[in-house]
Amino acid sequence: MEAASVTSAPPRRRSEAVREFLSQYGLIAILLILPVAYGIQDLSNDGNLNRLGNNLVEGLSNGAILALIALGYTLVYGIIELINFAHGEVFMLGSLSAAALYTTFGLTPNTGTTGLVLGLAAILVLAMLASASLNVMIERVAYRPLRGAPKLAPLITAVGMSFILQNVGILWIGASQTAVPDLLGSQKHLIEIWGVTITRGHLLAIAVTIPLVMLLTTFVTRSRLGKAMRATAQDPEAARLMGINVDTTISLTFLLGGLMAGAAGLISALYQTSIWYFQGFSAGLYAFTAAVMGGIGNIRGAVLGGFIIGVIQGISDNRIGNDWTPAIVFVYLVIIMVFRPQGLIGEETREAG
Amino acid sequence: MSRARWLALLSCLLGLFGMTVAACGSNDNESDSGGSAGISGDTLTIYSSLPLQGTSKGQSEAVISGEKLALKQASNKVGKYTIKYVSLDDSTAQNPGTADEAQTASNARKAVQDKSTIFYLGEFNSGGTKVSLPILNKANIPQISPSNTYVGLTTNKPGSEPGEPDKYYPAQKRTYARVVPADDIQAAALVTTMKEDGCKSVHIFNDKTTYGAGLARNIELAAEAQSLKVEGNDGTDRNAPNYRSLAAKVKADCFVGSGVTGENYVQVFKDVAAANPTAKLYGPDGVAEEAFTNPAKGGIPADVGARTKITVATLGLEEFKKRNNAEAEKFFTDYEKEYGDASPDPYAIYGYETMSLALASLKAVGDKANDREAVRAQLLENTKDRESALGVYSIDENGDTTLTDYGLYLIKNGEPAFEKVIKAQAAG
Repeated sequence: MEAASVTSAPPRRRSEAVREFLSQYGLIAILLILPVAYGIQDLSNDGNLNRLGNNLVEGLSNGAILALIALGYTLVYGIIELINFAHGEVFMLGSLSAAALYTTFGLTPNTGTTGLVLGLAAILVLAMLASASLNVMIERVAYRPLRGAPKLAPLITAVGMSFILQNVGILWIGASQTAVPDLLGSQKHLIEIWGVTITRGHLLAIAVTIPLVMLLTTFVTRSRLGKAMRATAQDPEAARLMGINVDTTISLTFLLGGLMAGAAGLISALYQTSIWYFQGFSAGLYAFTAAVMGGIGNIRGAVLGGFIIGVIQGISDNRIGNDWTPAIVFVYLVIIMVFRPQGLIGEETREAG
Repeated sequence: MSRARWLALLSCLLGLFGMTVAACGSNDNESDSGGSAGISGDTLTIYSSLPLQGTSKGQSEAVISGEKLALKQASNKVGKYTIKYVSLDDSTAQNPGTADEAQTASNARKAVQDKSTIFYLGEFNSGGTKVSLPILNKANIPQISPSNTYVGLTTNKPGSEPGEPDKYYPAQKRTYARVVPADDIQAAALVTTMKEDGCKSVHIFNDKTTYGAGLARNIELAAEAQSLKVEGNDGTDRNAPNYRSLAAKVKADCFVGSGVTGENYVQVFKDVAAANPTAKLYGPDGVAEEAFTNPAKGGIPADVGARTKITVATLGLEEFKKRNNAEAEKFFTDYEKEYGDASPDPYAIYGYETMSLALASLKAVGDKANDREAVRAQLLENTKDRESALGVYSIDENGDTTLTDYGLYLIKNGEPAFEKVIKAQAAG
């Protein structure tokens, strides 16, 4: 969270300013290498940028799901500096809940538009609440008792929670990837703009993610509870002395992260049309990477990181190979960390000073 | 030397001795039982090791049903010996639908440690057999797979990897046979079908497993031999959320998904079908199961199924009848009587033949049915012109069947439905 930053900028020398400039804009150049290189290649081969455009659209919609999950990592880290490894599984269980609710609400691909919209809106709310409740419960049961313990204790507890929740997923739907009804016709073409195809799935991912991120940002920056969150992130002791209930504020943070994970869960079920007990591990890993890449503790950074990783995946899958994609993503992460350890738009946290 | 130093030296020597004994001991455990002394007692154990969880569960259960039927027909007896059947699961809850390496090794060790083991039937997945075969080979336990198709398990033909197959036979003698034709034949069958369907080019995805990647290499070779252009051969990551960007690469008029259902191949086929709505889709025996073909069981949607053809190394009942194969007809009749299922999963007949071959090998050596070496030699060296439910075949010196017919299956009502026989010869 931005409020986690404690900046008291000393006067900088010219060389430091140059280095900072390079670290910031050099990284932008590195990030642009893939799209620019393949854009040039497409122009010379096809005479247009259709293929690159399609890669970007695919990447942005995948990235939107990652961004929503990444918000949970970044919110929690911003306020208690804990990497909540179980967050990916909260997203997974959100997805499983959403898919189960299809049947409860009787939604099928043949359901009419009105029924589908109303049903999905209700499922969105319920999936968000389910994931949020789960996340709050995890915090209450597994992390709060360890508030004063060495940092490794909650960390390993988080890893443990992750495995426990994975096994809940196995008990629920088994361990194989399971197809769920394609309620929206996720891959049906909606519109084509300059050779770039927009499908219903693409629109869904962006249309749900952007308003949610805006709501979250508004809540954190404008509301009293948001101010409490920022104050707690900045200095929990001072916040407590100022009358803020720190435990409640931390629970609220987990609640918000869970809400975002639940929304991501429904979008994922509708977009991928399959669910899997392990989906939270891989998505969580990328989402955590997105949060770190953007600057962990920074809401805008998490969203930016999610979109960047989505785009890298989209381009790499299409141009280099699906089996190379994880390596490409992490090469980018390493480069960014080496030159800008605080992430692309992250600021120094309490811990980092 | 001080007393303390003496004690330290003595401790080290004792430790070294202990480790040597332990090392030799563990080695002996695995190799002693492989001698020709024979199994004591009148009970011989046949182990089956298959994935009993996840997407391959249906196929594995069909194999087991076939094996049990053959055993029942023999009244669980061969000569004076009673046959005990033990079914093991080589998959795990976390890694279902395929052979989990650790679990497979554990199953093989269990069979090795059981002094009454005379046969090991499995694995279902070639990747699993890569693990169990060397362990069983050291103990000289004969092994028959009902389904492995990877070429490198038995030969160094194109499609295999360096060092294969010798690295699977540390005892330097063959102990493994299979009743299905290898992937060089399946690849030729797939390419033959595509050529018949008018394909000009093909794009292959493989699941990077031993089976999927090996078959993909064989398809490339077969395509080259039959002048079918290969546009690409891409590996897929099981953990990827989707394959839409990768699928957008597929510009060929035909596509082969060289993988198994458990490696996320429902998603792969869905994404390729959506990205290239006119492409003809082909799958190997690794997806010939309801978890792939039946939308109600998490399989591909019906419209994608209508565009998909699958090759399996078994033929339909009608085809067997046409060939006057009495053994096959007996299988189908008895299977229906036993299980009430007139159209069993294609793998049931392979389970049946796997057990039948094992029992025939035991029967052929008479009183030496308790001698692993005699049984091994019978299986690998003397299985010639065997009249079976699959047809007349021999096991060659590598452990491969001489059968080459593949069946082409369409997807009808969510099930693989036999369409016709494909006659194909391996490339190279």
